[in-house]
Amino acid sequence: MTGKAIARDLPEALRKYALLIALLALWEVSGRLGWADRQFLPSFTDTLNAVFEMWERTHLFMHIMVSLTRVTVGLLAAVALGVPLAYLLGLVFPVLAARVEALLRVFALVNPYCVFPLFVVFFGSGETAKISVLAWVSLWPVFFGTLAGMRGVDPYLVRTAKSMTAGALASFWKVILPAASPSIFNGVRIGVEMSFFILIAAEMTGATAGLGWIVHSAGALNQVPRIYGAGLCIVVLGVFLNRSLLYFRNGLFFWKAETDPISGAQLGGGRPIGRAAAAAACAAFVAVMAVGIFEIWRAEALLNDPGEIPEYRVWTE
Amino acid sequence: MTLDRTRDALTQLFYRGGSIVLFVLLWQLACSAGLAPETFVASPVVIVETLWSYILDGSLYRHSVVSLSRAFYGFILAVAVAVPLGFMLGGWFKSFERIMGPLLTFLGQFNPFALFSVFLLLFGIGEVSKVAMIFWVAIWPVLFNAALGVRTVDPLHVKLARSMGMGRIRLLWKIVIPSSASFLFSGLRLAAATAFFMLIPAEMMGASRGLGWLIINAQVNYQIPKLYTGTLVIVVFGLLIDLLFKLLEKKVVVWKEAKVL
Repeated sequence: MTGKAIARDLPEALRKYALLIALLALWEVSGRLGWADRQFLPSFTDTLNAVFEMWERTHLFMHIMVSLTRVTVGLLAAVALGVPLAYLLGLVFPVLAARVEALLRVFALVNPYCVFPLFVVFFGSGETAKISVLAWVSLWPVFFGTLAGMRGVDPYLVRTAKSMTAGALASFWKVILPAASPSIFNGVRIGVEMSFFILIAAEMTGATAGLGWIVHSAGALNQVPRIYGAGLCIVVLGVFLNRSLLYFRNGLFFWKAETDPISGAQLGGGRPIGRAAAAAACAAFVAVMAVGIFEIWRAEALLNDPGEIPEYRVWTE
Repeated sequence: MTLDRTRDALTQLFYRGGSIVLFVLLWQLACSAGLAPETFVASPVVIVETLWSYILDGSLYRHSVVSLSRAFYGFILAVAVAVPLGFMLGGWFKSFERIMGPLLTFLGQFNPFALFSVFLLLFGIGEVSKVAMIFWVAIWPVLFNAALGVRTVDPLHVKLARSMGMGRIRLLWKIVIPSSASFLFSGLRLAAATAFFMLIPAEMMGASRGLGWLIINAQVNYQIPKLYTGTLVIVVFGLLIDLLFKLLEKKVVVWKEAKVL
């Protein structure tokens, strides 16, 4: 980016984030000047301090990675299950789909929180049960998004492909999947949002690691700055997840750019992702997953480590 | 004629609801045959018995009223704030949108459970913090859809109305609201569904009444029939809320063409 471009974009960025910065400043000032009780509303810098302190002393990185991995693995499972299922029901067996749709809508309404014991029966009480809860939550938006996408595929396109002697597999890869994928992606985004909501709630009630667990344990120990610090991390992680999905969405479906929900302005450049960028993103993803799985393992190991600092142990027992 | 129509409706109902009936039958059979572990899976008959006992002793009514009123207040507050705000953002005041828009888009990505402790600190452990939580999850779909609805109003209609000397208020009533009604309704439906979905975890974390509390209490005390009964009640309420908004949309937005799917 040239200096000129930066100079041009700066006022735009300033306008965009002016109110956010003002809000953060108000938060800081109200703590410092004693407008708000610091016991209950630590200032912004206190919160940042708490974040740094947790990073150094209480494995904040591990908790972030644990939460991130849970959401991602749950989502991958939901996509792996939901997309083929929706393809089968939407295009291969449409009559069956009409018969079972009501049942599936009922399933989608079952709050996984309620039937957690059932998940424990099938998946044990460890990490798998938690991830399957998240997979369940994101499965339904992905499934119904895909179904809507499959049904919305222009039948003329499919027939044209057929008349050009494309087989079932080729027409699926070349015609149906690209035509349905914006709708699939919408489902994925709703799924991520829902499962991230549920993840934090699940970690607050029944986990021994993760950002939601920090909120819960800090609440129990009355460490108010840590509550805010963990909350800040959750917010940043949520925004990060949303942004990275948006990046992929805009790159993959560059002909259908996402718009800002309020102003209607186009978000992202609407440029296709190059091969190098795609490879880098895949490598980064694999690396994050590897680190995440290692951190989940480490979180379990730390639980049984008698030399571990008491703060981490007290509220997991 | 009417007979035919009734028959058609019944056939439709059979085809669409048949899978649910079949599922419940299989479930019951699996439980009766001992295929499902009784300690984890309650059979439909047991669930209905438990439900009946809760209806009789009034506890179902008590918890439902608490949960529904929390969802209702949060939802109504969200609508009251989000609809006017969305209309303003969607094009009424350009400079307002330019300043507020990015912040609201950002705030819309906040996780309500990250804010839960903050709500607890600010509003105490009573009803207000739960209503605030519902408010927070319900406000965004309504706000974004209202803004989207206003933005997609056909400018030709607006110009036409202006050229015929229509004032701002009448323009709002006659052009803007009818044009954006279907977006508004989809926002309301999404908000109501999300509000009810999120109410349950919210009640699990800090409540002493309500359907979410009923379920967490059943979990802690290992009362499996109670757990499934609570789940069933929540599913039924979810379906009813969805149906209510669908009917309302049909009644209000009479000019919208049926979606071909």
